[in-house]
Amino acid sequence: MIRKGIVWIAALAALAFIALPIVAIFARLSFGGLSGSVVSDALVVSLKTTFAAQALVLALGTPTAYVLATHRFPGRSLVVTLVELPIVLPPAVAGIGLLAAFGRAGLLHTGLPFTQAAVVVAVAFVSGPLYVRQAIAAFESVDETMVAASRTLGAGPVKTFFRVVLPLARGGLGAGEAIAFARGLGEFGATIMFAGSLQGVTQTLPLAVYQEFDVNFHTALALGALLVAVSAALLVTLKWLASSSTSTFRFAASSSG
Amino acid sequence: MNAILTVLAAASLTNVFPQIAPKNHYSFGGSNMLAAQIQQGAPADVFASANTNLPEQLHEQGLVEKPVVFTRNELILIVPKANPAGIHSVFDLRKAGVKLVVGAVGVPVGDYTRVVLHNLGLDDVLSNVVSNETDVREVLAKVALGEADAGFVYVTDARTVRGRVATIGIRWSAQPIVQYAAAVVKSSRHLAAARAFVHALVGPVAQRKLRAAGFLARR
Repeated sequence: MIRKGIVWIAALAALAFIALPIVAIFARLSFGGLSGSVVSDALVVSLKTTFAAQALVLALGTPTAYVLATHRFPGRSLVVTLVELPIVLPPAVAGIGLLAAFGRAGLLHTGLPFTQAAVVVAVAFVSGPLYVRQAIAAFESVDETMVAASRTLGAGPVKTFFRVVLPLARGGLGAGEAIAFARGLGEFGATIMFAGSLQGVTQTLPLAVYQEFDVNFHTALALGALLVAVSAALLVTLKWLASSSTSTFRFAASSSG
Repeated sequence: MNAILTVLAAASLTNVFPQIAPKNHYSFGGSNMLAAQIQQGAPADVFASANTNLPEQLHEQGLVEKPVVFTRNELILIVPKANPAGIHSVFDLRKAGVKLVVGAVGVPVGDYTRVVLHNLGLDDVLSNVVSNETDVREVLAKVALGEADAGFVYVTDARTVRGRVATIGIRWSAQPIVQYAAAVVKSSRHLAAARAFVHALVGPVAQRKLRAAGFLARR
């Protein structure tokens, strides 16, 4: 009985630890914090850059993941590791790397820094691998007999991909994209180093939180609450997608068995 | 008296403070960020700001003891050594497409920069700002890396990246009054040692080291 009590205390302490900072943001929130151009500009910049980055991630990440999931070639595991590397990279290192590669003084001498495109690049770099990793797993779990059946019935590889593979992998792809979206929305370190911070151009919501922290704490709190709300909505979407993906897999398993 | 102090200090003091007192624990950053941390109850013994109004404000709020002015500085314009935008005077900042990097409003160097531009009748130059940085060292890094075309920093910062940037002076009459003030944080658990440190900052040894780093006499 004593041991059971300790487990409960530990669980409650952990729950309180996680909940408290989030509750505190809302508890100290005051009305009016969300007014002002800093908040609306940051929201617009964040939405624009996040959607652009995720469009890029989906367009480039999906074929990449499909190739890596369906082909075995020498050095494949090395490539997969490379794709996953930005997930574990400290954001500041990502920022330095992007500057060294795409900076004006970098390897490719692009004029990207300080532009909104630089924010998109930074967000895609840190969030894309989260999607690709999940997408590889999703494509790998697609039942090969379903693909074979589609081909035998006369569907070409492209038609099979869009009509069979994509619908079967949908749940996993959606879950991966939701994680990537959330990570991208919260991107801070690589963005501030690579893109700088200018209201209405490169200042995203997290950058605005950081700037407002010492200018106007109430605005910072309001921005924080806004990010909590958006992130929570994403998480709920993610859970919903994950549950819908298990039902898809069940359907696939029963029909092929 | 050999307590190790936690000193929150302006980013422009990054190189010189460890020379003055190597054993202390330093947290360098924008003075406004550090002041906000003290307001939120961050544990610290001494606050050293790149202006006088932030420590005065904390003093009025009862968070720090009376601030002591211990040194001064001046602003300077820096450009990357290669000078991609061809900037040879502050007035060249008016050229279209110049990528100017400055401190954000509220960050001491950002406020001083706006005073300088106003004094020179160059307020419109602010439309060429591509990034508002959180402390002076971020401005310095973006110019030294060659990513920005120009930036306003303190004279003492420019000296730390000699060889990577070229400097353009700003005439004396346009210079703002850049005074650094330090104050003992009232919640410090090493009050005596903290007071001794602040007192030592105006002493001959520290003053010599500040001068050697390019800071000005406190007057």
